[in-house]
Amino acid sequence: MRWLLWFLLAPQVFLLAGFVQDLGLPALDMAVLAALYLAWFAERSALPFLLLGVAIGRSLVDEASLPVHLLVIGIPVALLLPLRSLFVAHRWLWQALAAALLAIAVPKLAGLCGRVFDQPSASAALQGWQVVWSALLVPPLLSFLRFLPPFAGFSEPDGPRPMAVMADRAS
Amino acid sequence: MAKKSAAFPVGLYAMLLFALAWLTLPRVFAPLERWLVGSACFVPRVASSWFGEPAQAADREALARIRELDNELLNRVQQHDFAGAGIAMPADDERILCGVLSVSRRGGAGQPSELRLDHSYAELAGCRELVTKSGNLVGFLLRPGVGRAADDEFEDPARVILCNHRDAPRLYAALETDDGAQLRFVVRAASPVDPGPLRVDFWDDPYRAARLEKPGHRVYTLPLAFGSQRVPGGLLLGTTRIWGYPRSADEEALTIGVFVAPTFEPRALSHVVVWRSGRYRPPPLPSSSSLRSRRRASAIVYDLPGASHGRHLLVAKEAVPEGAAVVQDGLFLGTAHGLSFGSGLVTSFVASRKPWSLLFLPDGDDQPPVELHAEVLRNDGDVAWLSWHGPSREQLTRLPAGYLFTGSNGQFCPSGLWIGRAEPARFERNLLRVTVPSEPGPRRAEVIVGGEAL
Repeated sequence: MRWLLWFLLAPQVFLLAGFVQDLGLPALDMAVLAALYLAWFAERSALPFLLLGVAIGRSLVDEASLPVHLLVIGIPVALLLPLRSLFVAHRWLWQALAAALLAIAVPKLAGLCGRVFDQPSASAALQGWQVVWSALLVPPLLSFLRFLPPFAGFSEPDGPRPMAVMADRAS
Repeated sequence: MAKKSAAFPVGLYAMLLFALAWLTLPRVFAPLERWLVGSACFVPRVASSWFGEPAQAADREALARIRELDNELLNRVQQHDFAGAGIAMPADDERILCGVLSVSRRGGAGQPSELRLDHSYAELAGCRELVTKSGNLVGFLLRPGVGRAADDEFEDPARVILCNHRDAPRLYAALETDDGAQLRFVVRAASPVDPGPLRVDFWDDPYRAARLEKPGHRVYTLPLAFGSQRVPGGLLLGTTRIWGYPRSADEEALTIGVFVAPTFEPRALSHVVVWRSGRYRPPPLPSSSSLRSRRRASAIVYDLPGASHGRHLLVAKEAVPEGAAVVQDGLFLGTAHGLSFGSGLVTSFVASRKPWSLLFLPDGDDQPPVELHAEVLRNDGDVAWLSWHGPSREQLTRLPAGYLFTGSNGQFCPSGLWIGRAEPARFERNLLRVTVPSEPGPRRAEVIVGGEAL
């Protein structure tokens, strides 16, 4: 059930971000949010297909092909993943710093993949304001989204888990 | 208390390796991508029923104006491309205007050296080997089953090798020096690392050639026979580029190498001209082949959230080919990424960052169309700024204002689709400002799906 929810809803998060931007709210690259969630909060064993769902979502809003998005999001996840055990990833300060770095790295990586694999896209353009908004908004959004479906079904706990999620796991 | 997984993320690295394999074998995994992304479009497709009814078609006057521009472009393309070479070719030869489907294969100076045409070998049976454009020698038409086209069949798109292809024959050419004398030489394809596509091999007077200082001399072919083919004289090969040591206070200038650069940009080529002897009677074939089929399927285009980034959902009743042009009332909207379940994702022209082959129609009745190879650098709403490559500064000082059309960008994105109004940037020669008319909301459109001959 949680996998069905993930592939049904997770890709739509990118469209939701576009909808929010159309309303005049700050532009946020959902790839940054998704990469940080996968790297520091998601179940490690489920990462491959969680990544696939996120990459499908990004391909809805970006003209590059699906495997390019797998690399653009997956490489930062692979680099940040070992840091999960090194320090307290739940501190907002670290999340803000990582979000800002990702907001720079993801467009640069998209540009590199675009040049290497001949698949340029508009998301390779780095926007300074997006770095600022990522640092400010990603930590509170992550704290909120981790407990909402479909993210709640795959979040690794740092304490006792909600009873509803444990019951779902047991079934 | 649930335990944290401490497993090494083998699966994550396997997924990244799989993505790399996917990129090296795109055709193998293309159905998988169409199915996965097509499934994800299910939710916005269901939601599209709340987006409202598609807008009505444009008024008749606007449609008539677009058709008028299309006809004017085609007339000027034919007039320009057919001109010039007629002096060198036999008078009773039939001229066939062929569209370019694709360019490929790195040749001299790292530039493309092969073309695929929108006519098959069967349709060009009996044609001469020479391929021209205006008064320029472009390259040589291959024969199926021979040499570089060894694996080609008669029904395949015809292949043309440009003069900078490594298999292209050496040519006999000449230039006129500043003092009016003629220098004759042999020209061959340069290597991919050379600064020019063609390289001068042998001179009839190397001592005089070593004193060439200024670039930009026009190089014309001299009559030459190779095998059963003849290259006539008078076809323009390009202009010279000089490589050597400049004049100093103590020493004269020393020219070490001379290269020839064609006057056209290979990646910008939209049309070329093939010649068939008037005495040859081709076998009866369908008047139009599937390679040039412009069959269109009706579709509806919806704005996806964040449509200011130029992404739209396409809903059609038949399969949409990859890179198919989406057209609304003669206006080019963008190209489609075909997906499963009758869906597609359209990237508008202003939002796309891929390179384009474009045709620029300057204002005025007698201005020839200009072939450009361009990329969108940035966009702001419906206005895009393009960085273009095309005619050199010596050929064209500055682009005037005019209309922008698609060039040949594949079988399903043919030339001649109107994009918008274009104006040159004030302070930069190679920057073009394009305004694309658009309107929000769902709208009826057509997708070029090609298919069987009409």
